[in-house]
Amino acid sequence: MISLAMAKSFPLLILLILLISAFIMPLVKNNRVVKGISLGTMMMAAVLSVITMIYVVKNGSFVYRIGHWDAPWGIEFYISPMEAAIGVLFTWVAGLILWYSLYSLEKEIPSEKLPFYYLLVNVLIGALLGIVYSNDIFNCFVFVEISTLASCGIVVIKDKKENIKAALKYLILSCLGSGLFLMGIAFLYSITGNLNMTFIYKEVAAAQYVYPNVILISVVLFTIGLGVKSAMFPLHTWLPDAHSSAPSVSSALLSSLVLKGFVILLIKILFRALGFTLVKELPILDLILILGSLGMIMGSVFAILQKEIKRVIAYSSVAQVGYIFFGIGLASELGVAVALYHVFGHAVTKAMLFLTVGAMIETTGKKKIEDFKGIGKEMPITLGLFTLGALSMVGIPILPGFVSKWNLALASISAGKPILVAIILISSILNALYYFPVVIHGFFGEENLKDRVYKSKQKPVKEMLPVICLSVAVLFVGLISEPLIQLFSLGLK
Amino acid sequence: MERLFINYFETGAIILFGVGFATLLLHNNLIKKIIGMNIMDTAIFLFFIAKGYIPGREAPIIQDVHKGAAGYINPVPSALMLTGIVVAVSITAFALALTIKLHEKYGTIELDQIMEMRGD
Repeated sequence: MISLAMAKSFPLLILLILLISAFIMPLVKNNRVVKGISLGTMMMAAVLSVITMIYVVKNGSFVYRIGHWDAPWGIEFYISPMEAAIGVLFTWVAGLILWYSLYSLEKEIPSEKLPFYYLLVNVLIGALLGIVYSNDIFNCFVFVEISTLASCGIVVIKDKKENIKAALKYLILSCLGSGLFLMGIAFLYSITGNLNMTFIYKEVAAAQYVYPNVILISVVLFTIGLGVKSAMFPLHTWLPDAHSSAPSVSSALLSSLVLKGFVILLIKILFRALGFTLVKELPILDLILILGSLGMIMGSVFAILQKEIKRVIAYSSVAQVGYIFFGIGLASELGVAVALYHVFGHAVTKAMLFLTVGAMIETTGKKKIEDFKGIGKEMPITLGLFTLGALSMVGIPILPGFVSKWNLALASISAGKPILVAIILISSILNALYYFPVVIHGFFGEENLKDRVYKSKQKPVKEMLPVICLSVAVLFVGLISEPLIQLFSLGLK
Repeated sequence: MERLFINYFETGAIILFGVGFATLLLHNNLIKKIIGMNIMDTAIFLFFIAKGYIPGREAPIIQDVHKGAAGYINPVPSALMLTGIVVAVSITAFALALTIKLHEKYGTIELDQIMEMRGD
């Protein structure tokens, strides 16, 4: 088919559409037109990514040479089923979040800044897709920097005191992370002489006996550098401030997509550039496993201690990213495939949680958890959607949270570390401890529901439709868990 | 020990990196933090360029005659660091702009004092 063969150039086309259209927005004076451009380009990207996905599933992975330069000299995009699926996830979730933002964003940021906000979002998603698609480490570094700047931008755009503080903290720690990451590239380049991941994989097989220490140093630098950016446990300190003070649309984007871009880059470097067999021999995966487990427990403990609902969800992200690192650290193919599946499940669920909470804060004007008692009567649909997300986070069967926990437990048993199942269980119980009180106090309790008027604060269904779509996506991701996990384990080879 | 002196470029770069890293982490003054960040970035540039340098060869700019690949140093690290410098400059500019904003709102750029003002 002619149309499907063209799919090879779609990844580049998606990036160009997003990045070029971004810079048209500030030139347009009318905010409605800006919103149209933003949503339209994201939908185009979403459709193109789906076509790419269909092509990749039918014909297998492919390499796209940018400018038709051959590999060691030019930059390549390497699209395996994994990259294509992540591309679909990023564009669709971003599209739904943008759809939600059409109705709510103007209440949070000044309307003259709206074009700049949509500029930043398009640049951010474009850069994240660049990280996912690119096969060239230095190209990935440039995209990492672009996405860092753009994500700082969407935090700071509210122009409040705490936003500027949070964004500066985020920026400084991210710079630390990208410094370490670039140093890692320098070490890897010095022993392999290549920046293309496929070629690094070929060269590193010969170099590993000559320079074992250099490989170890570079892997540690990559892990810590990207760990800072993706909120690996002891390095997560910037996350709660940045995610809780940002507008809720930004929080949803940051928490569900931006963290994941860097995790996927780490997975690509570890398992594609260096290879399974080499990485397994290094102590780095044990370190990732320990930090992931710590994050799963400590993130939840910190979340229990919080009073503001957005901070609770922000700390919950630390715990959930812990699950992803846990899966990577298990050092088995199933573990990494489940980690990638958790990227999927967490992205849709966390986007839904942040948007529902954003709607609650918007209509009530309150931020503390105790102010949301009895809100289930006033906003039944919103809290119902929140409940679905919370159930998935805690791990109720069929929902994605359960599937990844179940498979992580299986993977840790087959990796010969059954003690880790206990950590998964403890973390699930802790998750329940901070999600369920919100739901229970929201729906039940005599004194909570007194004086509340049924559906009095409910947003119109039209405005909640994107969140309802996300909830369908949550169920869908839960239902197609088997083929997705298989797809990911294929994509890693 | 001897290896450290032979590879003095790399040794210097790592020392500079440590200086920048410590400055970035340990200072409370935001301007000093940004300076530390720049020192760190410069250290990486030095490290990278030292990797591409081959003693006795010329910069890869062809004047009059092309001397063949053996006549020039490896141009890739230099080209990469050109991009790296652009990235570092833009991040510095953004960080400085945020610092100015922060000074407008809080009246100070000492991070420990800003953290104390958390309550309001």
